[in-house]
Amino acid sequence: MGELEADKHVRYIMEVEKRKDDFEYVVTEHLRINGAYWGLTTIDILGKLDVADKEEVVSWVMKCQHESGGFGGNIGHDPHLVTTLNAVQILALFDSINVLDIDKVSNYIVGLQNEDGSFSGDIWGEIDTRFSYVAICCISLLRCLDKINVEKAVNYIVSCKNLDGGFGCIPGAESHAGQIFCCVGALAITGCLHHVDKDLLGWWLCERQVKSGGLNGRPEKLPDVCYSWWVLSSLTMIDRVHWIDKEKLLRFILDCQDKENGGISDRPDDAVDVFHTYFGVAGLSLLEYPKLKAIDPAYALPVDVVNRIFFK
Amino acid sequence: MEEVSQADPSHLLQYLDSILDSDPFINEVGFIHPSQFLALNEEAAAPVSEELSAANSSDMVFWHRDHKLGISTQYLVPLYKAAKCAFMAAVGRYNDSNLSAESGEKNVSSLQDLCAVQVMKRSRALLLLTSDFGTAWNYRKLMILREPHVSTYMDELGFSKLVLSYSPKSECAWSHRRWVIKKISGNCLNLQEIVENESDLVKLIAEKSKMNYRAWNHRCWLVSYMSSEQVKHEITSSRVWAGLNVADNSCFHYRSRLMLRMLEGLRTKQGSKAVSSDNAEYYKIYKEELDWNETLIKRYIGREALWLYRRFLSLFWVDQFAIVDADALAHINQTPISTGEIKTFLDNEVQLFYSCQGYSNNDFEDYQAQATFSATYMLWITRHFSQYAGFELIMKLRLRDLQEVLDKYCPERSFLWDFLRTP
Repeated sequence: MGELEADKHVRYIMEVEKRKDDFEYVVTEHLRINGAYWGLTTIDILGKLDVADKEEVVSWVMKCQHESGGFGGNIGHDPHLVTTLNAVQILALFDSINVLDIDKVSNYIVGLQNEDGSFSGDIWGEIDTRFSYVAICCISLLRCLDKINVEKAVNYIVSCKNLDGGFGCIPGAESHAGQIFCCVGALAITGCLHHVDKDLLGWWLCERQVKSGGLNGRPEKLPDVCYSWWVLSSLTMIDRVHWIDKEKLLRFILDCQDKENGGISDRPDDAVDVFHTYFGVAGLSLLEYPKLKAIDPAYALPVDVVNRIFFK
Repeated sequence: MEEVSQADPSHLLQYLDSILDSDPFINEVGFIHPSQFLALNEEAAAPVSEELSAANSSDMVFWHRDHKLGISTQYLVPLYKAAKCAFMAAVGRYNDSNLSAESGEKNVSSLQDLCAVQVMKRSRALLLLTSDFGTAWNYRKLMILREPHVSTYMDELGFSKLVLSYSPKSECAWSHRRWVIKKISGNCLNLQEIVENESDLVKLIAEKSKMNYRAWNHRCWLVSYMSSEQVKHEITSSRVWAGLNVADNSCFHYRSRLMLRMLEGLRTKQGSKAVSSDNAEYYKIYKEELDWNETLIKRYIGREALWLYRRFLSLFWVDQFAIVDADALAHINQTPISTGEIKTFLDNEVQLFYSCQGYSNNDFEDYQAQATFSATYMLWITRHFSQYAGFELIMKLRLRDLQEVLDKYCPERSFLWDFLRTP
């Protein structure tokens, strides 16, 4: 097994920006702000955020803002709730939320809430509980949660609960660990976790652990390091982490490292990427691996960053 | 194939556009490794066309035959860069033409039309290279809204299907379909036909792309647009597929969605007289589903999705039919499940549990999995049925056996036992 190759992971993430001709890099440019959020948060958990150029990052993030107040995934791309949260999260990492026109950003979010309490991802109207989470998390980080209709937002999320205790993206949609993270996270932020049947959901979530120790996101699927975040953060929020074998999961994550060049992959021996590097490191942080900053399971930011916002 | 200069990506893009323009019936796009070009050509029994013979393998960028289009992985980066550049430029020109129109300039509407055509064309090439470039999908929607005809909307369904042929999990492509359907659902005469085609498309894609959450989610979304006849038809017609894909949890979730939808339909009919025959039919469908699931569980050993579906069916049954509230029952003209029926049901589940322990000395992983799933299923039954009369009688003597199986096959789940047994 061995240790967490912290320095190599930092180097890997910082070098991704230099591989601009890789196919994967090129065709994900519409998601760059998303990748930047995962990468920078990982570096912060590893205690090395100072290797990133704060001025450069903040000024680039601000160039991704659209006149509507929302942010796009890169300069010149249309705004969306998901990328707006990513922008706010990055600014939070660098203690720079004050560069924002809070009213403008929050009005963008408020404008996307629908009559039934759900949120559209953007002006084109796709509805998903992921967008509920993103809106709630973002507007809470901006400290104006009361600008949206919280009661209706919560009721909509609760309407997406299934008989297995999990949640899907709309009412009647299949339970999925990623969606569960979103719904539980949104309910945690709004102080409404009493709507979750913790034993029933915890049961479904702990059955995601497979023999290798890794977690999957749905029944019959292969384990994937990303669920070390989605499942584990959900279990943390509902206080049921002790229902899985933490030691085995820890070993699974460490086995997914590229020990030579840094980075973490979905499964042992696969190709690494920034997303899974975050999921692995964040999962280890939830498992209280030594020398890692603690991460907040609902806001998906280091606890000290969240505290800086709410207890300033 | 014409020789395509490697140095000029815009030339590559033009070539891609010309193929797409020349063949509006292309139904599949894929990225292929340069080494596959030769194999593909040999495979196609037809004599090598002039186009193909003109170039050697290193110059091969596109493979186009029988309405299938292959793009060489070697050229994806330059092609993508050229396509993105051209799209952004077209968007810029379109936005400029809009500004001119807003500032009152005359005769700009034909210019706007031209710009709109370009935006559609440029977004087409770009989305065939990167399926989740949201801004390109958004601009397509914007262009369609300029002149929203049903035929244009239908074209979008066709285009999104083409994108799904190479990227079946593309969230943007699925979402684009929902946008189109929401737009036309208000004034569309053949909505039921469109919904049926959508459902078939998911079936087709799920065949190649197993356990595709985005695809099945789309099918679940469609259910709210289905007539009650369609819902019934879907339950029957998708059964064979499910029986052949017993590890695909999504298809069983889809069935649970259909069952719940049917029940919703019955409940909204409340007050009308003819509901008792509907209820009987519904109950029959439910029973068939339960029996069929048991058959599959015994045929395919150790499949988690089947057991989870049984958890749904059992809970659904007791939730929906064993209603204690007499008013609610009178409302839907239904009699509650009797204590006797609950006993019969529990007896059957207990027998199923024991039938899964028959091979307890067998080390095969599937058999161990079967024993584990049957035991956790019994825990589920314990949790959800313990308040019904008859439960203790049936289960009391079996609890020790259950605990033994749990200890043997899934000691890591022993906490479930603990929390279920402590009131």
